Amino acid sequence: MSEQFTRREFLQSACITMGALAVSTTGADKAFAATSTSTPNTSGMPSCDVLIIGSGAAGLRAAVAARKKNPNLSVVVVSKVMPTRSATTMAEGGINGVIDFSEGDSFELHAKDTVKGGDFLVDQDTALKFATYAGAAIHELDYLGMPFSRNAKGEVNKRYAGGASKIRCNFASDKTGHILTHTCLDDALKHGVKFLMDHHMLDLSIENGRCEGVVLRNIRTGDIAPVRAKSVVLATGGYTRVFWNRTSTPFIATGDGAAAVLRAGLVFKDPEMLQFHPTGVCHGGTLITEAARGEGGILLNNQGERFMKRYVPNKMELAPRDIVARSIETEIREGRAFGHDMEAYVLLDVTHLGKEKIMRDLPQIRHIGMLFENMDLVEKPIAIRPTAHYSMGGIHVTSIDTMATPAPGLYAAGEAACVSIHGANRLGGNSLCDATVTGKIAGTNAAEYAAKADFGAGKRLNDLTLKWTSHFKEITGSGKGNVNDMYALREELGAANWYNMGIFRTESKLLELADKHAEFQARYNAIRIPNANPVFNTAYTEYVELGNLLLASRAALMGATARKESRGSHYREDYLKRDDANFLDWKDVVVGQFKIEERKY
Amino acid sequence: MKFIIDRFDGKKNYQQTYTVEKKDIEALTLLGTLLFIKQHQDITLNFTASCRMAICGACGVRVNGHAYLACDTKMTELFEEYKDADTFRISPLSNYTVISDLAVDWEPSIENLRKVKPGLVAKSEFSEKEGCRQNQEEYDRIVGQWDCILCGVCASECNKLSADRSDYMEPFVYTRAWKVANDSRTKDPMIHVKPTVTNGLWNCVHCHECTNRCPKHISAAEDIAGLRAMAMRKGLNSGVGPAHAKSFYTDLVEDSGRLNEIRLALRTEGMSTALRAAANKE
Repeated sequence: MSEQFTRREFLQSACITMGALAVSTTGADKAFAATSTSTPNTSGMPSCDVLIIGSGAAGLRAAVAARKKNPNLSVVVVSKVMPTRSATTMAEGGINGVIDFSEGDSFELHAKDTVKGGDFLVDQDTALKFATYAGAAIHELDYLGMPFSRNAKGEVNKRYAGGASKIRCNFASDKTGHILTHTCLDDALKHGVKFLMDHHMLDLSIENGRCEGVVLRNIRTGDIAPVRAKSVVLATGGYTRVFWNRTSTPFIATGDGAAAVLRAGLVFKDPEMLQFHPTGVCHGGTLITEAARGEGGILLNNQGERFMKRYVPNKMELAPRDIVARSIETEIREGRAFGHDMEAYVLLDVTHLGKEKIMRDLPQIRHIGMLFENMDLVEKPIAIRPTAHYSMGGIHVTSIDTMATPAPGLYAAGEAACVSIHGANRLGGNSLCDATVTGKIAGTNAAEYAAKADFGAGKRLNDLTLKWTSHFKEITGSGKGNVNDMYALREELGAANWYNMGIFRTESKLLELADKHAEFQARYNAIRIPNANPVFNTAYTEYVELGNLLLASRAALMGATARKESRGSHYREDYLKRDDANFLDWKDVVVGQFKIEERKY
Repeated sequence: MKFIIDRFDGKKNYQQTYTVEKKDIEALTLLGTLLFIKQHQDITLNFTASCRMAICGACGVRVNGHAYLACDTKMTELFEEYKDADTFRISPLSNYTVISDLAVDWEPSIENLRKVKPGLVAKSEFSEKEGCRQNQEEYDRIVGQWDCILCGVCASECNKLSADRSDYMEPFVYTRAWKVANDSRTKDPMIHVKPTVTNGLWNCVHCHECTNRCPKHISAAEDIAGLRAMAMRKGLNSGVGPAHAKSFYTDLVEDSGRLNEIRLALRTEGMSTALRAAANKE
C-alpha cells in the first residue's frame, strides 16, 4: 500500500488534516453565501422585469445598464452557455472610439469612415451618434477596470484598423474581446446581475403586437417553460454559422434571436449582409485578426507577389475587409493560390515584424497558427483564406436612441440587432463598441419600459410552450434516426451557402440555392434524434439551432436575390455596380411569410 | 484505438468505450476527437464547446485524470505525453458537479466569483468621463492574470478542493481577486482581499498543480501567495495561516536562519488546537 501512495494522495490527506485543524469561521460565510444564489426561484423558470437573452458583451452591458437605471427591477441574463463563452471573447484586434483628438481625429470622421465602409447603407445620423457614444465608452470601460494596452503617457493605446482614416482602434493586446467580456462579467457581478445559464431560448412570444416573454428550455433538466417578462432584450449574436465550417465565429452563433423574431412575425433587416473576413486559417476558418495586417503583415500569392497592389494600391492590405476578401478569392479563382477547392489558400506573412513584436502584440494569432496549421508564424507565413465573420443584418431596431424593435417591450442589441450602423460592411474595431454602446442603450430603455409596464396575458406564451414540449417528444421520442443525419445536413447547408451565397453571388447560383434550401428544409423536418433523454440533450439543442440556421439562410437568400446590385459585402457578379437609385432605400425581408418590405425611416 | 468515456445520464454513472481509427483523429485536437465521436458514433454523448480556439474556456475535460482544454490540445501531444498509449480515459473536470457526461455545473463558480467582488472600483482621481492612467510596469503586473478564460482546469487539478470543497474556492477565483486587488487603478484592494480571507485563502496547500496545467500559464498558487502577503501587510494577520507564515519569517529571517520545527506547530495552531490534534490522532 505504502509504495502506491502517490504524491497526490499525500497532498490530499494533508489537506484533510489541515481542514480538521482549521478554526471554523463559516457562520458569516454561510450567511453571505445564502444571499447570493443566482436563480430567483427553485422551480427553474422565473418571471422577471427585464429578461436579457445572451451573455456576450451586449447582454452583459444591457444587464448592468438596466440595474443602474432602476435597481428595484429584477434583471436576469439567460444564456445557453456559461456567460463568458460568447463570440465577443473571440474578437481580437480592438475597439474603435475616438478619445485622442490631437491628430485631427473626430467623432465626425469616425462616423464618416463607418458610413463609407458600410457602402452608404448606413443610417448617417445613427453613425454619428454611435461614434460619439463609442468615444465615451472607451473611457467608461477603462474606468470599469478593462486593462487596455497603454502608450508611453499611460493612456489607452491604439492601432490602425482597416478602412479607418485615423488611428482609433483601442486595444488590449490581441485579446481585446476576451478582455472586454471579462470586464463586463466582473461589472455585472458587481451590480448583482443574476444569471440563468444553460437555458436556451426556443421562441419569443408576441401577442397583440407586444412582447410578453419567451419560451425557455432548461438544458440541464430538459424542462420547457414560459418565462414572462415586462421587457426582453435580445442579445443573441449573429447567424454566420449559416456557412457552418467556413466561419470564424463560435459554434453557438446560430441566429437564435433573428430566427425567433422571424417566427414571431417581426422584421429581420438586411439579412443578406454577411461579412467575410479576409484572413481565416485554411483549416477550420478560425480568425487571424486584422491586427496582423494593421501591425504590418502582408499578403502573398503563389508567385510570391504582394497582390493587393493590383487591387487597392493606396491602401494595400489595409483596404476594407470586403475588398481584401474578394481580392484573395479572385487570386484563388484565377489560379494564383496554393492548394485547391475548399483547401485553397494564400499566404499572410508577418515574419518581418520580428519575434519580439509578434510575441508582445500578436501572441494569440501565433497560438492559433500552431493549433490549426501546425506552424509558427514567427518563422514562416501562414495559410489563410476568407471566412464568414459578422452579421451586419439583424433584428430590426427603430432607433439607436432606444434600441427598441417595433414591438413594445422588445429590444435588441449588439450583433443580433440591425440599427444600420454597419450597413453593408462593418469596419474592423466597430463590433465591440457596437456591443458595448447598443447593449447599454437597450438595457437602459428596457428598464425604463419595464418600470411602467405590466406583464402580458401569457396566452400565446403558453401555446408556444405546449408546441415546443411536444416538439421535443416528436423529434427525440421516436427512437428512430441515424447519428450522422443532422450533422451531414449541417455541413451540406454550410457548403451550399458558401458556394452559392458566399463572397461571389449570381442570380443563377442563388436560384439553385433556393431549391437546395427547400430540399434541406424537408430533410430537416424529417430528421429524428436518437436520444430521448431530456437531461442536457445537446443533440436536441443542435437540432433547434440548425432549424434557426435554415431560417436565417432562407432570409439571407431572399435578401441576396432581391438586391440586384453590388454593395459592400454583398457582391453580385451579374450586377457589379452599386445602384443607389433603386437600392439605397432598400427593403427588408419580413417574417414567416417571407416577403420584402420597403425600408422606412 | 479506444476512448473510455465517463458518462452520466442524469441518473446513473457508467463508462462507455468507443473504438476509433487512429488515422481519423491523429490530425485533430482533443475537441475534434470528441466531436468526431459524437457526430459519427454516439449522438447522446454530451460535452460543451464554443469557440474552438482556446479563448472561451468551454471545453475543459480530463484525460487519464489530468485536466486539459480540449480545443487547445492536439492528439499528437497526447500520444507523446502518454507514450503512444492506445487507450485514453476521458472524464469530466474534477471538483465540479457533473450535469451530464462531460458537462459540469458552473453556477457555484460564478457565485464564488461574485464573492470576491471582481468589479474594479477605481481611485477617486479617475473618472468615467476621462478614464484612467496606468504605466507599462503597472499594466504588466496584472496582464497575466487577465488571460484567465475560466476553463476550470486549475480547479480540476486542485488537491485542496478534492479533499474538501466546503471551505475553499476554485483557484481561478483567487486569481480573479488578485488581478483586481493588484491593479494600480484600484481604490482599495481590501474590497477584494477580505472576502478571499474569509473564503479559504489560507487553505491552499502550495501543491502548485493549478500552475502546472493552466493552459494560459497562470499561477493561481502565486496569486494566492500575493493575496496572503497583501492581507498580512494590511493587518489581516490573525489566525492559523498568518501565524504559520510568521513563524517561518521570524526563524529564517530574524532569528537563526533555521526553522524550529518543534515550535512551529505550537506557534501556528496555538496550544489548545495542537493538543486537540494530538488527542484526535490517538
